[in-house]
Amino acid sequence: MSTAAAYQAGPPEPLAPGEGGDVRLSLPALVRSQPRILFAGGLLLLLVLTALLAPAISGHDPILTDPDNALLAPSRGHWMGTDELGRDLLARVLWGGRVSLPVAFVAVVVGLSVGGLTGLVAGYRGRVTDLLLMRAVDAILAFPALILAIAIVSALGPSLRNAMIAIGIVQIPVYARLTRAQVLQLKGLDFVAAARALGASPLRLVARHLVPNLLNPLIVQVSLSAAFAILAEATLSFLGLGAQPPTPDWGFMINDGSRFLANGAWWLALAPGLAICLAVFGFNWLGDSLRDALDPRLRR
Amino acid sequence: MRRAAVAIVLCLFAAGCGGGSGSNTTGTSSEGTPKAGGTLTFALESELRTLDPVVSTQLVERTVFYQMYESLVTIDDKLNIKPGLATSWVPSSDGLTYTFTLRKGVKFHDGTDFDATAAKFNFDRIQKAASSPRKSELANLDTTEVKDPQTLVLHLKKPDSTLLAQLVDRAGMMLSPTAVQKAGANLGLNPVGAGSGPFTFVEWKRDDHLTLKKNISYWGKQAYLDGITYKPITNDDARATGLKTGDFDIIRVAAGKDIAGIKSDSTLTYKDTASLGFQGIELFHGSGTFSDKAKAQAVALAVDRSQVLKNIFFNVGVISHGPIPPGSWAYDPSEKIYDQVDAAKAKAAATGFSFTLKVANTPDNLQEGQLIKDQLAKAGITANIQSEEFGSILTDTEAGKFEAALVGWSGRIDPDGNMYSWFHTGGGNNQGLYSNSSVDKALEDARTTTDQAKRKQLYDQAQVMLVQDGAYVFINHPVAAQISRSTLHGYVLYPDTMPRFVTVWKS
Amino acid sequence: MAPVAFLVSVAVFLLIHLTPGDPAAIILGEEGSASTIAALHKELGLDQPLTTQYAIWIARVLHGDLGSSLRTHQPVTQAIGERLPATLELGLAALLWSLAVAIPLGTVAALRRGSLLDVLASGFTVAGVSVPNFFIGILLILLMGLALRLFPVGGFVPFTEDPFQNLRHLLLPALTLGTAGAAINMRFTRSSMIEVLGQDYIRTARAKGAPWLRVVRAHALKNALIPVVTVVGIQVGSIIEGALVTETVFSWPGVGKLAVDGIFGRDYPVIQGIVLIAALSYMVANLLVDLTYAYLDPRITYS
Repeated sequence: MSTAAAYQAGPPEPLAPGEGGDVRLSLPALVRSQPRILFAGGLLLLLVLTALLAPAISGHDPILTDPDNALLAPSRGHWMGTDELGRDLLARVLWGGRVSLPVAFVAVVVGLSVGGLTGLVAGYRGRVTDLLLMRAVDAILAFPALILAIAIVSALGPSLRNAMIAIGIVQIPVYARLTRAQVLQLKGLDFVAAARALGASPLRLVARHLVPNLLNPLIVQVSLSAAFAILAEATLSFLGLGAQPPTPDWGFMINDGSRFLANGAWWLALAPGLAICLAVFGFNWLGDSLRDALDPRLRR
Repeated sequence: MRRAAVAIVLCLFAAGCGGGSGSNTTGTSSEGTPKAGGTLTFALESELRTLDPVVSTQLVERTVFYQMYESLVTIDDKLNIKPGLATSWVPSSDGLTYTFTLRKGVKFHDGTDFDATAAKFNFDRIQKAASSPRKSELANLDTTEVKDPQTLVLHLKKPDSTLLAQLVDRAGMMLSPTAVQKAGANLGLNPVGAGSGPFTFVEWKRDDHLTLKKNISYWGKQAYLDGITYKPITNDDARATGLKTGDFDIIRVAAGKDIAGIKSDSTLTYKDTASLGFQGIELFHGSGTFSDKAKAQAVALAVDRSQVLKNIFFNVGVISHGPIPPGSWAYDPSEKIYDQVDAAKAKAAATGFSFTLKVANTPDNLQEGQLIKDQLAKAGITANIQSEEFGSILTDTEAGKFEAALVGWSGRIDPDGNMYSWFHTGGGNNQGLYSNSSVDKALEDARTTTDQAKRKQLYDQAQVMLVQDGAYVFINHPVAAQISRSTLHGYVLYPDTMPRFVTVWKS
Repeated sequence: MAPVAFLVSVAVFLLIHLTPGDPAAIILGEEGSASTIAALHKELGLDQPLTTQYAIWIARVLHGDLGSSLRTHQPVTQAIGERLPATLELGLAALLWSLAVAIPLGTVAALRRGSLLDVLASGFTVAGVSVPNFFIGILLILLMGLALRLFPVGGFVPFTEDPFQNLRHLLLPALTLGTAGAAINMRFTRSSMIEVLGQDYIRTARAKGAPWLRVVRAHALKNALIPVVTVVGIQVGSIIEGALVTETVFSWPGVGKLAVDGIFGRDYPVIQGIVLIAALSYMVANLLVDLTYAYLDPRITYS
């Protein structure tokens, strides 16, 4: 969870002006420098597709109970076995993707938009606004991420929506700092100051100068944030603070399934766990390889 | 392994020193020859909050109380009232006075004597307490009178045939006044010397362990065990596994899914009997959906109890047909009103409606909620599951803010304890606001007479009426079980699920 | 730091008090009735307006009084103090395990850069932070606890009482908590080792014919470990978080388990106290890391 944050150790530093231009390589060039991108991207695409197509390909209803077929081991009729209410586990794992992947998306969007805006305003306005906003951001950073997420979800009430909000809030600081640092750098440039004096609208400055320079670190960060979001959501729902049953949710399924480990029903906790690992691994791998591809210092 | 070593050393020691009174130190461990020595490790399903019986609310606390403290009366395993710290009692003809003759020569663990003054002190403490669940249990108690050191008189406001049953448990537990005053506010944490029972309090380190040791100056037959260590292990799996590995000697409850594994394990002993409680769905009749009796009956007809028993409880326990538990003298096995699930009949009664069913957010409750939802769907009834923290459910039911909730009752020795507060108009547990004047009359009459045959008749009548009305949807009766290592002997199974370790020994 | 600490305290207070669920009802359990619950509200001060409750709380906190648990009436500071050793023991064991794995593996991966070992190690790095730590815990329980029956799957024996049993119970939770950290530390050891090994004085030593091992031990390791030390400091946060779930999975009686129990029991003072202390310790740890970093690398100034 926060290990992922430590692992990220902050996004790659914003580039100095002038460096921005030649680092925005085309996709084929990126892939050539880091072939891993292709594999990671492919994995993620596969996951997204299975989640989207889950209703069509799962074969069984993930919610309807069938008590007479409870706790069946994996077999021809049920590839991943059944749970304690007789529901097909494979169907539930596939449908679980429809819960976890949107969480990643929403959480990242919340963090990116609120955080990015905060950093932008703070950096642009400077002085008191900057001080206030960044103190608020520091307050968020003062908490270990997961603990804050748990506290927020507990306060708002356990539900998938609130889990998304909580994880989004926890993501704000990273994007705020990223954006702010880049804005500050740009502010110090002569041509930017000149443009402002000439009355160029802030929007234009943002679009022409800020966004291109932010693109690279942002792409990497978004990928890593998605990984963190899925992991955090899994932990929250493991603690019962995420999606509520009967909605299939990987973290909750692991907790629920672990009750039956002693009964020998190993498949219940294992299947959703592997799904989480796969999704998180995919995003981490992608972010990792993108970072290596885009970092000018590692350029071979 | 370490415990066995300790036990052997102690046995040798005892043998060498000639042993204490009542202990048998022949050293043979064959079945039937009790052996003194050894410590018992008991894994509890939750941590205690207090060791003061006056403010105690949790069931697990009683598992400690019954070894340390004693009440005026006790029960045997058939739920018959037996002498405890009182050797005999005489009710007056109008039922308003009970005269207790107290046992002589009983000393509390701190060395002070137990007498009528000490007893009065305990009853007064309950009545003077700012808030205590014991107050409603002894609501009919007016005053206590010390006639002489061995005679205590209880004056009641109204005749109450449930009084003795109440005195078996916390309401009648006798603590040493000296110890209580000495401990002050710390009594709930450190009741040193307060009890009079076969085990004395040693220490309590919260979330870690609580230890008791054998009372060698006990007035009755001494315990065999040297001591008991309680450990709170909330995780069901950890408890069951710890039992299998021998880390624990005994546990009180196990999840239904683990019972089969325990039964087939030769190193473990499993015995069960029906307990005093009931579980099912509490319905709100005050207004809304279930103010319509037909809808309540429809739900009662549509729930498939045997499927719930099989899938959720793994067939541990029995189907419930009413509030009176199978172990009670008031139980009538022929009463089976909603025995078979009948979706057709349910549809005929009422169909096409929906309601919110609150369930506690523990995995097995959620599972049960899901199962019931699908069962009701077959009768065209839609149950919307709302999972909440158990405490929230209690608050909501208190305030009448619910339609249906999956809430059960742990049960009381006297059938009145399972019926009056729940189904009498205005009863303390009657949050469903169920009201039926004929039921009220039957329950009131049953309280005033001490003729057990007559009481049984009245309770059966009341049960038939309230079950037919759909006052509560009864699903199952849980069990009281002995779930222990096979090295544990002499355990007597009580339907109130309480262990009484004075007879227990380890081989 | 002070304004941030203030904001943190307000945030903690608000969050916990917004939490739905009535602690009075939970305490009273099935014995609760409308009147006893109301009485308990009064006793616990839960009927006062929020600002008053906050003022009372913050005044007490500044005197070192974090209130008492609503469930057990034990002072929160005492409850945390009793459980802190267990959590510290777990955290320390996890850290040691992660370093014991990370440093040798990271060093070897750096030395054998580009080899199969290196690739596998990189894979482990990413995989290690991709697995939820409660899942690792469950896998370990499945494997070691149930299948192989080597280790107990839960519980705790104090070190002072029985060191051997204590360590037996410690192993699985420590492995669980430390694995993610192992992955991170391995990556950092590797990259900083690579950087150091590329330095001139190292190459000079090699050119002079010194054996790899001596070079590594004498020069590279020490310098490479500086960033690792700072990263370890950052891991205080993840250990705190990871402890929550790990202690719950293994019934380890530490502060994390206390927090989770508190959350489910709506034990406001306990949750508030722990979240506050967790945030403050995390802040202090980060501060120390920043200071250490500034001290070790004179090019960096702390503003």
